[in-house]
Amino acid sequence: MTGPTPERTGERIGARTTLQKLLSRFHFGITLFAVALSGITILLAGVTALRGYADRNIELAAQLGAYGVEPALIFNDPQAAREGIEPLTRIPGIARLRILDDRGRSLIEWKSPSADPAPLLTQMFFPKPYAVAVRRNGSAIGKVEVWGDSSTLTDYVRIGLLAGLTCLLITALGTIALARRFEYELVKPLNEIATVAHDVRLHRRFDKRVQPLGIAELDRLGGDINALLDELAGWQGHMESEHAMLAHRASHDPLTAMPNRAAFDEQLARRIEQAERRGGRFALLFIDADNFKAANDSFGHAAGDAVLVALSACIKDTLRKSDFSARIGGDEFVVIVDPLDAETVPNDLAMRIRACVSQPIALPGGETYRASVSVGVAVYPDSGADATALLTAADAAMYADKLTNRSIR
Amino acid sequence: MSVQAASQTIVEDSAGGRARAVNRMLGGIIGYARWPDGQRGAARTLCLVGAPRLTDRIAPVVPGGPAVTVRRTSADGATARSDCDILFLGRLPASDRQKLIGWVRGRAVLTMTDDDPACIYGAMFCLAGRQAGLSFSVNLDAIGRGPLRIDPRVLKIGGGEEEAL
Repeated sequence: MTGPTPERTGERIGARTTLQKLLSRFHFGITLFAVALSGITILLAGVTALRGYADRNIELAAQLGAYGVEPALIFNDPQAAREGIEPLTRIPGIARLRILDDRGRSLIEWKSPSADPAPLLTQMFFPKPYAVAVRRNGSAIGKVEVWGDSSTLTDYVRIGLLAGLTCLLITALGTIALARRFEYELVKPLNEIATVAHDVRLHRRFDKRVQPLGIAELDRLGGDINALLDELAGWQGHMESEHAMLAHRASHDPLTAMPNRAAFDEQLARRIEQAERRGGRFALLFIDADNFKAANDSFGHAAGDAVLVALSACIKDTLRKSDFSARIGGDEFVVIVDPLDAETVPNDLAMRIRACVSQPIALPGGETYRASVSVGVAVYPDSGADATALLTAADAAMYADKLTNRSIR
Repeated sequence: MSVQAASQTIVEDSAGGRARAVNRMLGGIIGYARWPDGQRGAARTLCLVGAPRLTDRIAPVVPGGPAVTVRRTSADGATARSDCDILFLGRLPASDRQKLIGWVRGRAVLTMTDDDPACIYGAMFCLAGRQAGLSFSVNLDAIGRGPLRIDPRVLKIGGGEEEAL
């Protein structure tokens, strides 16, 4: 378990691209490939077809020229020959024309005034002139030669490339939009899952759940994550309650459910600090059951426990909400009466506790027992300014009270 | 009257150059004429009236076409026999010329002359010698009056661009 984990983490850090970028790149590549492929195919097919048309065009031009210059050849008339080929000079894609008479001598020659846009293309597509014999009543009287040029092809290629580029642009934009949409559809649910996982990890929000998702695979993943979160939430709740129980157990007395000595020490330190800051006063009552050992011995431990529970109940009943009580020893209780104002007299409180305690307590064995307690009061800051001094003062006061009680009896 | 001199044939600078050029031109014109009988390869008879100015040796050469028989005759001889398909008018009195032109009207006879550079006396084709060579003009009115059909390309050569058709 610990072995492969660091390795995998390293791999994840190494790959820094987002899913969206990856998809975008992939889509663009596919689109580019498809458009380029179809564009090149169309262009090649077009060039091939156009070459056929260009050949046909030149052939027709030569035939037309042959018809036009026939009388000119008969009359050996260059001017008429020039007029005869005049319509041909207006046909695009013809670079050069030559009329030869029956003896192979050039009657006239014409060259296109516009320069060949792509001599290489012309070399490739029209390496030889197209020649047509001019016949009159079956006998050859001359020849018309026509050289093509690449202007029609270059026009087509130019327009084709332009159209191709436009198509590429439109297709690219379209596919980018589609890819965006697709990415959005895919990335949004993934982000949702990631957000939930992040929230759970960072803020321990085990109540978060992945909403139902449109994509089946991701929805299954979300469902699994939800199930995992259910389990985690269960474990977390269990752990929290366990933890609370343990904490309570550590700070409370199991018998009376009152805070224990450790909790009291902490509470006292805090109250002293608060009172010091505010300049307030509070009282510390030290309560000790009289003859508890004897009762314990004569009635048994179960009876002793019952007495302690009854004592703690009396103390709890007497206290206000802001007061604090704890069991710090076998039969020793403390009470912090805080705040200590004009109406709250510690001795009255002590009296009330004594009165409550003196009620008969039903023991498990069926007997009744009347308990009595000794109460010592110390007041912060009059009796002491720190925990030890206060406790010592309260303990001393309690002891004095105990002595008084004994002497009374 | 639609007459236009336009064609300019190159003439070789040899002794028989002009004669060859004249006969070639005559043959060319004959080759582009269609007689109503519709026979393409039929032999044609050329009746030569008067004295030709350009050359004495009138013997038209039709490229790949029918043979042309040349017959020297007088104006009366030409009208009397009426076997002339082609009438070549050389230098001759104006009355004879008028008579012949009048006789030709409505007949399938091709008329040519070399004695009318302006081509105004009613012949269909008028040959003329120039400094550089030889040319012919067309009298479209004369052609229009007869049943003969002439290839428009020839009319164009002999007529010039705007008046040809």
